[in-house]
Amino acid sequence: MSFDPATVAAFVDGELDDLTARRIEREAANDPALAAEIARHRTLQARLTAHYAPVLDEAVPGRLRALLATSDKVDTSLAGRREAKRVRFAPIHFGAIAASLALGLALGLRPWMPPASVTEANGTIIAAGPLAKALDTQLASSQSTNAAVRIGLSFEDKAGRYCRSFESQSLNGIGCRDSGRWHLERTMTGQAGADYRQASSGELAAAAAKMMTGDPLDAAAERQARAKGWARR
Amino acid sequence: MRFEEELVELLPRLRRFARGLARDASDADDLCQAAIERALKSQEQWQQGTRLDSWMYRITRNLWIDDRRAAGRRGIHTPIDDAATQVAGDGAAEVEAGALRGDVDGAMARLPDEQREVVMLVLVEGYAYREAADILEVPIGTVTSRLARGRETLMHLLGEAA
Repeated sequence: MSFDPATVAAFVDGELDDLTARRIEREAANDPALAAEIARHRTLQARLTAHYAPVLDEAVPGRLRALLATSDKVDTSLAGRREAKRVRFAPIHFGAIAASLALGLALGLRPWMPPASVTEANGTIIAAGPLAKALDTQLASSQSTNAAVRIGLSFEDKAGRYCRSFESQSLNGIGCRDSGRWHLERTMTGQAGADYRQASSGELAAAAAKMMTGDPLDAAAERQARAKGWARR
Repeated sequence: MRFEEELVELLPRLRRFARGLARDASDADDLCQAAIERALKSQEQWQQGTRLDSWMYRITRNLWIDDRRAAGRRGIHTPIDDAATQVAGDGAAEVEAGALRGDVDGAMARLPDEQREVVMLVLVEGYAYREAADILEVPIGTVTSRLARGRETLMHLLGEAA
């Protein structure tokens, strides 16, 4: 790896100038250790974000809101309430539009950006990009030996969800199908990680064994589950 | 928009930040309450046209630090009694690495204050290094080095791939 850890961290944090960022992206495509390091940082960030995200959805306690209650006379007429709603919502609304525009621009201006394998939604870490595609479509029984993501076991967990273990250069783990997404229940550094051990596959299998009910899916059951979009039975 | 209304909009994010600092939910809301009271009192110190969020985060963080120092002087230490130390008897090193897998609160609690606040600001709240440095009133290099140490510790404690 020809980039120092601080530069890799700055890359993940979006702190690098475009030229340097592009150089890292290009190099990550051919340097599994660098790709793994980037994935390690992204996973930590996704995990932290997911952990604290639910606070945003909590109702703000009355004692805090009361401190900021406006002393204006309360207008209970419908028109008054409509007006209040409109006024209060407008800035949030435009803020959201501006944010999504900025995001779209950022994405659009960086076509070289490799698609991330992990993202965060509603407080959980989920598979994205090529990883999600592999979990969706790839069959353990008939995958090419040089597939970027290798599917290990497909099984049903105790909640009745379909789960699949996977291994790749940067990330190994188990994804479980829930509400149309692959939730990553377990993750560990992939083969390219500096501290990758042969035991990792074994650990993954052991974790899968603990989660599953019954036997892993055989080739026919796996094909059937895929045909139904991995929806719970 | 009125000062109070802007503050109301900030509350969910401010509560998240406070939760990360203070860990306990009601301690975090106490911290938010103190920060709001301070902000209302020093409203004229906030300069129109500058970012209210940065100003509020700075107030919140400073109150938290004051509280931690006062607690330290009174000899109250935050208990660090998480799984990792309880089972440290057998094969401590092995247990330490990945012992808190899944326990983000436990892992965050083990970070020194100055690393925890940087981790919250940059990795959770999404502030740029420059903005985090302004909120904390430290040089940008201090932000990056504390962030690097905090990250390494979290990755270590939370397991191989965090």
